Amino acid sequence: MSDLILLATAIGFFLVAIAYTHGCEKLRRGGSQ
Amino acid sequence: MTLQATLLLIFHFAVLLLITKPLGAYMARVFEGERTPLHGVFGGLERATYRVLGIDPNEDMQWTTYCVAMLLFSLASLVFTYGALRLQGILPLNPQHFGAAQMPAHLAFNTAVSFTTNTNWQAYSPEVTISYFSNMVALAIHNWASAAVGIAIAIALIRGFARKSANGIGNFWADVVRCTLYVLLPICFVGALVFVASGVPQNFARYTTFTTLEGAKQTIAFGPVASQEIIKQLGTNGGGFFNANSSHPFENPTWFSNLFTLMVIWSIPASITHTFGKMVGNAKQGWAVFGAMAALALAGMLICISAEQAGTSHLDAAHIQTLATATQPGGNMEGKEVRFGIAASGLFADVTTGASCGAVNSMHDSYTPLGGLVPLFNMLTGEVIFGGVGAGLYGMLMFAVLAVFIAGLMVGRTPEYIGKKIEKFEVQMAMLATLVLAASVLFLTALSSTLDLPKQGALAALNTWPGSAYGGADSIYGAATGNLNNAGPHGFSEILYAYASGTGNNGSAFAGISANTPWYNVTIALAMLIGRFLMIVPLLAMAGALAKKNAVATSSGTFPTDTATFAGLLVGVVLIVGALTYFPGLSLGPIVEHYQMLALASH
Repeated sequence: MSDLILLATAIGFFLVAIAYTHGCEKLRRGGSQ
Repeated sequence: MTLQATLLLIFHFAVLLLITKPLGAYMARVFEGERTPLHGVFGGLERATYRVLGIDPNEDMQWTTYCVAMLLFSLASLVFTYGALRLQGILPLNPQHFGAAQMPAHLAFNTAVSFTTNTNWQAYSPEVTISYFSNMVALAIHNWASAAVGIAIAIALIRGFARKSANGIGNFWADVVRCTLYVLLPICFVGALVFVASGVPQNFARYTTFTTLEGAKQTIAFGPVASQEIIKQLGTNGGGFFNANSSHPFENPTWFSNLFTLMVIWSIPASITHTFGKMVGNAKQGWAVFGAMAALALAGMLICISAEQAGTSHLDAAHIQTLATATQPGGNMEGKEVRFGIAASGLFADVTTGASCGAVNSMHDSYTPLGGLVPLFNMLTGEVIFGGVGAGLYGMLMFAVLAVFIAGLMVGRTPEYIGKKIEKFEVQMAMLATLVLAASVLFLTALSSTLDLPKQGALAALNTWPGSAYGGADSIYGAATGNLNNAGPHGFSEILYAYASGTGNNGSAFAGISANTPWYNVTIALAMLIGRFLMIVPLLAMAGALAKKNAVATSSGTFPTDTATFAGLLVGVVLIVGALTYFPGLSLGPIVEHYQMLALASH
């Protein structure tokens, strides 16, 4: 298993987590309107 | 339960109660930005840190900013550790000349994720894998940082309850710096000296070879153990300097060091409940959470220690003395250190798995089925029985939100907690955080219980143990159950424990599973990432939403949450969620193993 694939996996996970953060915020704004 | 065990439990909880109030109140002052006696010592360093890093500690972050800062900080430190581990062969402080051969990419990935997420699951033997530099820099940085991040998240959630109509939940960078300088550093400085005084080594010596009385050669590993040991326990990290972790005489030499370790592990997780009470302006709220945690902990301790003290029918059949005497601990002593005995081992198992620490002073794989069920269940609750530093509190507050929601459904009123209305969004976030943990544990356990890889061809490498790096031969396992030392329900428990430990960010191992293969290293790393960050994101979202709300006035219809009744409800919710979610899995593992044991005894 190469370094690149594993580092890309880690970075990909954190990008998903950041997108998840914005998704939750969108849900909160939608919920409060 | 022996008299010794009873006295040990009383002493343990008495010390915990003594610590909780002063340390909790001190942490509240630190995170409220108030001046403490230690500001005279570290105040200059704190201000210099802000200046060098360009941080404005007074900037109040919205929850999204706070969360993204935490995620990017974690990613950067993860990548740093990955690189340092892979390059340890050309880095200093490496007298044993360990290199990338001992630290292949999949193991470096697992280890970097493990320490970033405060899990400290170790799929390797440190003595034959990790240089002193890797230990003291690449890994130790996370022992501090991941602990500070966990505490910062809990403090942010507390602010969500404490603040009214506020946009922000604090400053992530200031919280991490203050936690490191004013909480972790001073305790570690004193604690490391206590460990040294107990006989724990602190040096950079090469490993030394001795001749034993039988004439055999034995290599004794040394290193800067004491300084690692204290932050490992205080930060509920748990990664051992040695493979045998806290059962190794250089990590935990005496009964005193064992008691000290137990106190250190729960010191912050217990005290932060009082920090919570202080910051929300009602200390009784904190004590209610403390009470729920303590009740769950005590129940686990009584079951675990009693099961281990009772021994097994196999020991009876082999005519082994299982009754405790003045000179023998009795019970099931397999996998336990004689210098600790049954009670101090069972208590340690409960403390370390309740606290998401993961340090072990006995081998949990050798516990009786019911004794082993307790550490497993502790992790499956989401690590809320005092839990990890910060993580335990934010996990328990998640359950508190669910508890008031359920109570609200029962009496037909809008649920409230700490004067804040708990509405649809907060419950959605609490459920997301709860469900992601269960999905990770159950899905990955099921996958590894059924995966059958070929033993030849490219796919075989996915589940191959790299023994050649240690002078042996590679082991090609094929099926993911091929890595187990036990078949049947005990083997299933080993897999369930591995993913529960990873997802719960505990890091202890049931052992009995050769996990240093690409398959287990990568899937357990994913479990650790999911368990840490996909739980934190919705809880910070909840913090942000709560901070924006105004407080509602207490009325006759308000369900009081600072009482023993609420603590009981909280315990019930934790048990029901845990039982309903994981009962089928536990039935296939330790519960059926217990009945198998009884059936064998009756024949």
